[in-house]
Amino acid sequence: MASGGGNQPPPSPPYRPYRLVRTLTAHTRAVSCVKFSNDGSLLASSSLDKTLIVWCSQTLNPLSRLIGHSEGVSDLAWSSDSHYICSASDDRTLRIWDARTGDCVKTLRGHSGFVFCVNFNPQSNLIVSGSFDETIRVWDVKTGRCVHVIQAHSEPVTSVHFNRDGSIIVSGSHDGNCKIWDADTGTCLKTLIDDKVPAVSFAKFSPNGKFILVATLDDTLKLWNYSAGRFLKIYTGHVNRVYCITSTFSVTNGKYIVSGSEDKCVYLWDLQGKNMVQKLEGHTDTVISVTCHPTENKIASAGLDKDRTIKIWVQDT
Amino acid sequence: MNVSIIDPLQGDFPEVIEEFLQHGVMKCIAFNRRGTLLAAGCSDGSCVVWDFQTRGIAKELRDKDCVSPITSVCWSKYGHYILVSATDKSLTLWDVVSGEKVTRTTLHQTTLHACLHPGSSTPSVCLACPLSSAPIIVNLNTGSTTVLPASVFDSGTGTVLPSCNRFIDGSLPFTPTAACFSKYGDLIYVGNSRGEILIIDYKDIQVRGIVSVPGAAVIKNIVCSRNGQYLLTNSNDRTIRIFENLLPPKDGPRAIDQLCSTIGELQGVEKLKAVGSRCLVFFHEFQDSVTRIQWKAPCFSGDGEWVVGASANKGEHKIYIWDRAGHLVKILEGPKEALTDLVWHPVHPIVVSVSFSGLVYIWAKDYTENWSAFAPDFKELEENEEYIEREDEFDLMPETEKVKESVVNEDEEVDIMMVERDSAFSDSDMSQGELCFLPAIPCPDVPEQEKFIRSASKLADSNHSGSALSEEAGQNGQITNPASSPVEAIDNSIADDTGVTCLKRKRKPSEKGLELQAEKGRKSLTKVKSSGKSSKSKNKSAMGQDRGICVFADDVTDDPTTNS
Repeated sequence: MASGGGNQPPPSPPYRPYRLVRTLTAHTRAVSCVKFSNDGSLLASSSLDKTLIVWCSQTLNPLSRLIGHSEGVSDLAWSSDSHYICSASDDRTLRIWDARTGDCVKTLRGHSGFVFCVNFNPQSNLIVSGSFDETIRVWDVKTGRCVHVIQAHSEPVTSVHFNRDGSIIVSGSHDGNCKIWDADTGTCLKTLIDDKVPAVSFAKFSPNGKFILVATLDDTLKLWNYSAGRFLKIYTGHVNRVYCITSTFSVTNGKYIVSGSEDKCVYLWDLQGKNMVQKLEGHTDTVISVTCHPTENKIASAGLDKDRTIKIWVQDT
Repeated sequence: MNVSIIDPLQGDFPEVIEEFLQHGVMKCIAFNRRGTLLAAGCSDGSCVVWDFQTRGIAKELRDKDCVSPITSVCWSKYGHYILVSATDKSLTLWDVVSGEKVTRTTLHQTTLHACLHPGSSTPSVCLACPLSSAPIIVNLNTGSTTVLPASVFDSGTGTVLPSCNRFIDGSLPFTPTAACFSKYGDLIYVGNSRGEILIIDYKDIQVRGIVSVPGAAVIKNIVCSRNGQYLLTNSNDRTIRIFENLLPPKDGPRAIDQLCSTIGELQGVEKLKAVGSRCLVFFHEFQDSVTRIQWKAPCFSGDGEWVVGASANKGEHKIYIWDRAGHLVKILEGPKEALTDLVWHPVHPIVVSVSFSGLVYIWAKDYTENWSAFAPDFKELEENEEYIEREDEFDLMPETEKVKESVVNEDEEVDIMMVERDSAFSDSDMSQGELCFLPAIPCPDVPEQEKFIRSASKLADSNHSGSALSEEAGQNGQITNPASSPVEAIDNSIADDTGVTCLKRKRKPSEKGLELQAEKGRKSLTKVKSSGKSSKSKNKSAMGQDRGICVFADDVTDDPTTNS
């Protein structure tokens, strides 16, 4: 890293590409989501084959298979202490699993449609879930009680996320809206996007909670400053018209935006410059989910039905 | 809190009861520094820690030795410890995370009010105000006590007599005296029965200043605001008085020394009074001149802008809110029973009161839906504005209309990692690791319930090709399909109800309602869930298919409840 001197920002080091190190095949249907745990020691994946698998992120061996859902699983989330996983399934329930033992600890019932997305709050005493029944529900982790039901959208809710202090929730939906809700009262605080098209397929807060990364089904990713109500960056080049592909921030070695794509590749863009820096090829179907390791330069990606694998990419040192 | 789009009127005040908490008979309450946890002392000697976000119980601090009713609860600065005083004359220090008792001391008298020294994060010293004598400083580790002077006599010779234990509060021997720490604990303010506030240096237990409260009535409570800038006293003459603290928050004693040196010519009590008058200045007083009620449990709001006090009359639960300038802004009326304790949330405009029967009421603002939040470019105006349109406002000029999209400087650096310090907690020492929340461990579901539900939904799944991984394949699912619907319907309707009601008494109705609904459900097994919802969701998946938006486009599932 060049030392900073004078008025110009130091030239950034040359980009070191990611390369494929492992392909994990253990699911028998499309993989819907992969996520590293907050402490980086475990990797969890969910699939349409109704199960979830917990892997050791160092050795990449499968540690346990979480069985219990009666329909495919669409999304999963880790608690902050990396002890619990919450999964959202088409059987209209959410399940909380103990990641160490593999037991299902709790089942959260209440949604009347497929549960599509789920997340813990940073304190991990609440879970937020979005569903095809167009509502967002906030659940108490300890008792499983539904604390709020928010009639949020007029189409399936595609993604929900808490900000870093757990005070607000962002939600995106097929009705094209992206809204921000107060987590304590369930009231709407702001509407970020209000167009009918294109549908908002994914929304997530930045690590400092000031910006929201929004993916829309017109091949676009935008970084919004939600207090100002305008977007600051646009990332394009990938294909996203049909599926709710997750994207994420990579902050371990320079700031990047990472996203899957329907052209079977993983795209990486420089956060500030918005230029695409790398395209990871190898999957044989749409890359539906990507996740970055919290401390190492490692990316995991998941492919849909014709692929069914999880690929691990590591940056060359 | 530090989110800019949440209502900026943080200094506003509560209006209605939002919810109540019930667990045994609670007597006294205290928030931790950030207001995320609420500790409540109960009449059976245990202390319950509520997670204020979920309104559920996070921890119970219980011991076989502590069985007498709790008189006061106090958190340590960073929330790791709780000090509890009980009617069996004991003081107990609990470690919150482990739920274990750290130490227990027994005094000569029951303590009405105890608080930990606010300066340290592993406190071993506390201030206790007993039932009928002067306040004492207790070292919890050694058990040693130091009695604080509660009055200063001027014997006429000009010298100050050190207080003896015999003349603890002068004329009325059994009147409690009130005391509190200054913000960092370097000074102690003691209010005595002659209507005087004594400013005592914590290190050498010497009286450094005296402030005479107008009215000279017995002082029942003395409280500092969170930022240390204001002090209030509640006196027997039915008046709450506010004083402004002129001393700097840190190094109070040093500032007093400087003041002393400037008043060199006075001696003894005169000097103390002169010093005192430069430390605390009378600001305002509150009383209800109509009903002349005695006040109870007065305190400041988190930002010091509002003062709240409760009526001490038995049989009524009235909370008065004044702004600091002295105007009464609100009277909150609760259920017709006496109030035993009252606190204001450190950050939000929420007041929590404890009623005589042991229920904890949470008062909050009446939330009205902010309709302008639903449109992204809607700007609210404070009042009507005259709008004069441009000359070409309504001309048809299609090219220039596209300029509406504001020019975005896309080359600007965006910082996604830096977090700003929360200004409301300016003195938080980040190296200490404050305890903001207790880990939430999900309570495991009861297995029988689990099995019933699973077998019901498993039958629905039998329509589809069995997956190789299905573990429940061997279950005897003879229960008819609709059985799953009433169960789901229960959860739906209850949750929908709680979402809509204005007076949100969430906890009780959901449990009772659940039982009632479960009864109904069991009786009418043939009741199929109203097709309204199910057909709607079916349409969704169909529509989803058409537009190809559904992620699982190749996994066509019928909605299980429509058993077509």
